[in-house]
Amino acid sequence: MPTIDIKKKDLDSLIGRKLSVEALEKHLMLAKAELKEYNAGTDGLKVELSDSNRPDLWCAEGVARQIRVALTGKPEEYSFFKPGHKATRVIKVAKDMKAVRPYIAACIAFGIRMNDDVLAQMIQSQDKLAEIFGRQRSTVSIGIYEMDKIAFPIDYRLAGPDELSFTPLGMDEKLTLGQILERHPKGIQYGGIVKPFKKYPVLIDSMNRILSFPPIINSTEIGEVKTNTRNVLVEVTGTDQRMVALTLNILAVNFYDRGAEIDPVLVAYPYATDKGTRVTCPYDAPATIKLSLAKFSQALGEDVTVSDLKKRLTAYGHKVKGSKTGLSITYPPYRDDIMHPMDMVEDYAISRGYDSFEPVMPRESTVGGLSKIEILSDNVRGHMVGAGFQEFVSNILCSREELADGLAAGEDLVEVDNVMSLAYSVLRNRVLPSLLNVEAASSKAFYPHRTFEAGEVAVLDRSANMGTRTDLNLAALIAHPTANFSEMHSTLDVLLYYLGVEYRLEPAESPFFLPGRCGKVIAGAIELGYIGELRPEVLERRQITMPCAAFEIYLNRILAAR
Amino acid sequence: MTPSEQNKLIESFHPLENKLLLSFSRSGSLSASDIIAISGLDESRLDMATGWLTAKGLIAVTGETVTTSVTLTETGADYREKGTPEIRIITALREGKQFTVKDIIQTWGMDPSEVSSATGSLKASNVISIVEGGKLRLNPDADAGRYLFVGKVIEDVPADASLAWPDISAEAQAVIQENFHKRGKGKGIFRITEKKNRTYSLTPDGKDVLRLLRERGAVTEEASALTPEMLKQGAWKNVRFRAYNISLSPPRASIGRKHPYREFLDYVKYQFVSMGFEEMRGPLVENEFWDMDALYMPQFHPARNIHDVYFVKEPSRCREIESPFGKQVAAAHKDGGKTGSSGWRYAFDVERAKRLILRSQGTAVSARTMAAGPKVPGKYFSIARCFRYDSVDATHAPDFNQVEGIVLGSDINFTTLLGLLKLFGREVAKAKEFQFRPAYFPFTEPSVELHVKHPDLGWMELGGAGIFRPEVTLPLGVDVPVIAWGLGLDRMAMIAMEIKDIRDLFSRDLDFVRTKKIQLNK
Repeated sequence: MPTIDIKKKDLDSLIGRKLSVEALEKHLMLAKAELKEYNAGTDGLKVELSDSNRPDLWCAEGVARQIRVALTGKPEEYSFFKPGHKATRVIKVAKDMKAVRPYIAACIAFGIRMNDDVLAQMIQSQDKLAEIFGRQRSTVSIGIYEMDKIAFPIDYRLAGPDELSFTPLGMDEKLTLGQILERHPKGIQYGGIVKPFKKYPVLIDSMNRILSFPPIINSTEIGEVKTNTRNVLVEVTGTDQRMVALTLNILAVNFYDRGAEIDPVLVAYPYATDKGTRVTCPYDAPATIKLSLAKFSQALGEDVTVSDLKKRLTAYGHKVKGSKTGLSITYPPYRDDIMHPMDMVEDYAISRGYDSFEPVMPRESTVGGLSKIEILSDNVRGHMVGAGFQEFVSNILCSREELADGLAAGEDLVEVDNVMSLAYSVLRNRVLPSLLNVEAASSKAFYPHRTFEAGEVAVLDRSANMGTRTDLNLAALIAHPTANFSEMHSTLDVLLYYLGVEYRLEPAESPFFLPGRCGKVIAGAIELGYIGELRPEVLERRQITMPCAAFEIYLNRILAAR
Repeated sequence: MTPSEQNKLIESFHPLENKLLLSFSRSGSLSASDIIAISGLDESRLDMATGWLTAKGLIAVTGETVTTSVTLTETGADYREKGTPEIRIITALREGKQFTVKDIIQTWGMDPSEVSSATGSLKASNVISIVEGGKLRLNPDADAGRYLFVGKVIEDVPADASLAWPDISAEAQAVIQENFHKRGKGKGIFRITEKKNRTYSLTPDGKDVLRLLRERGAVTEEASALTPEMLKQGAWKNVRFRAYNISLSPPRASIGRKHPYREFLDYVKYQFVSMGFEEMRGPLVENEFWDMDALYMPQFHPARNIHDVYFVKEPSRCREIESPFGKQVAAAHKDGGKTGSSGWRYAFDVERAKRLILRSQGTAVSARTMAAGPKVPGKYFSIARCFRYDSVDATHAPDFNQVEGIVLGSDINFTTLLGLLKLFGREVAKAKEFQFRPAYFPFTEPSVELHVKHPDLGWMELGGAGIFRPEVTLPLGVDVPVIAWGLGLDRMAMIAMEIKDIRDLFSRDLDFVRTKKIQLNK
């Protein structure tokens, strides 16, 4: 979810109307955007965009465009997308680019009225597109240059690490491509994208001047845009042709919205691409989606007329053709997020405003209920409360240390691979250690302590498809000067009596419990849990200075045995 | 005091007060030691009872005598047995032994400060001098009389009893005053104890009350508690039960109790059941397939990398993805399959789908429910523990609960989605004002955020919802529209519990949990 900074007066001028902050907040809903902050002193807006599929909205121009079209009801005609426009300038792609960074798209924007706001927006959208949409420049990266310094045609080719050198932005000496990867901050940050290859991408003009080393850095000589720059070359390279084309389209409409003339560039590939070998950009194969009015109305829950649908979708930037029997919607060239007719249902609803729909309760009646295990859990929780125990709710993600001394031989835990903190690196396999954590933290609470938790645990289970199992266990613990096996056994005995479980205790060994004071709870052939007095070393390790006794019962097994 | 007030007073008497007052039957004025002799009360109980009766204005202090006595401190008792350090040094020197101050400390087991103060005193009074090699020498004309006298005074005080001050000679009193233990000072030899013996007299009210008490006493015996024996034998008829002071605070009780956060979750749970929702459950350890792929989140989605999700170390993958869902979901991602969608247009990696993770969203449970042949029409909810790769702080717990669910039915559409959300806002958050905002979730279209005006919090986001994309439902075998919804309730729980740190929902502190109240149903 990108958050962008915009000057309000810049946004107002792009919308073509001065909006109050309140009105702006409401209109931002059209772009699924939320105003996070407005600083009247600096005129700065902080806007959060929630749609990760609409990179066209991640800039002042895009947000303004979505609001402007709603206010005017008429989408902009981006004439430069019309087929038949002739490109006089060419980028020649070398054969070996195919394996490294195969796609490039470019256009020229003439007559930009550059100022600080425009420059800031240009840098911001370049950054958001390449970082978030372009996955840290790996699939898409962007370069913008001073057009007047470039002599076409441009070569997009590979060069060895020591073959060429130029002065990269942010430095005042010439570096080879290899040196840039070693020494330039951007080379260090993004070098991983090109390092697997022996040679790296470069853009060079016909005078042998280097424009940039995509996707790393531009040259200072040609690739530095300033507030006095009027004409620019915009170039996008990447590994996904659709994303490269979409990114260039977004940048082209952004410059156009700021009053620039867009001139196309022809890219000549020596290899086949989805769009052919000679691709003129900005590229638009007008994309349409067909939908039926009946299905549209059904999805909305309201009958929609063709004229209303046309009006609302047009006011959202689409072109709508057709009649009741079949509608064809052409969506704008800066959008590539439409996959299904349902996407149009949402655009319609947003364009009309969610508040304009009357909420209706689903009429079909259903019967509510809890799962069997939850009913059992509620039952034992009620019992434990009645027996005078305080309930706890604990975190399931914890440290190995909290659980390690309770593991039987050969028993292991579900462990996190990408550990952030050792304190949260395994899932508990029992509930009892959580109650021992409580004891360790509660020596100042007045005694007696009687605590319990009915909670989920994760157990390794090689026989299961998932290799693990989620169980629901009940653990209870008592701590006071005379806490012992017998008292705990009484609680367990009466609990199992009311649950209708006939059980016996069998002597057992456990790293948690004193030898000779530990038992397995058995019903028929099923082991239901364990009970015992805690070993002093287990208590000492946790600095617990009060005798403790405890039991833990596997509720899933009680349910299964019923 | 009126007679009725006096009678009320008697009824509220503690047995100790009774006993104390009755001691005055023969004499209206008694010393504390007299009272102890007559009543058999010990000193601490006497103090309590005289305190109460003085406060009630029935007796008053009319005189006070002070007796002073001397006892030995621990050090004094030690000296009585072994001799004072000074005498021990003098005796050893007289026996011709040769030693230094260091020798005394190391071999006699005496405290260094004790030794230095003793040798210092002996030197100053010219009894000894320190010669070559630090050795101590007894001066030929040494007058040790003073030190011997101190020893004699110590001996005169019995080891386990006290000596009355007036029985002590003036010279001995001077020695005692030089060496008595003062609070905060190091070691003293003697302890001087002053003991007050107060004289109490009945006030006029006291005299009346005593008279009333004696009249009553003739007929009834006072009891503090009713016993089974009294009931069996009928003895309760001749017994008067003391009235309690019911304004006192009671002792603290330790009771069995639900956890307040769990109580909140139970409340939410029963609300959903009452709205016709069936509970669904799923595993804590999920695979990417059910947690994300089945929800049409592309495998390149930014929220799917190692900085967002916890991966399981071992086993790292499940064995298989349930058929036919694996293939159908893969097709939906690739080119839409049979869903009428263009799909995400990338090569779906089945091995990636098998990767085990800690459940990152409750929607995984909804995906599993849809694949398991849910009821149509059907409403489902779950309260699912989820895990996100976040640093733990006041707004992020290591794991947290998501309240999520689905609603399936042929009458599910955008307006019923809004209707259901409104119901949630009204029932769960007790809100009267609502706002629906466009939102984005990868698995729903259209998507909505529900904002409500909470009675305490003002406008807040209560949850997100939408209609599952056909790319989600159709590959899982569901051919009716499905609402997916999720509510963020932890903030409401925190307000209800009056806590500011989300980690406190999972507090380990028994005292904190025992004392936390929760306000439901507001």
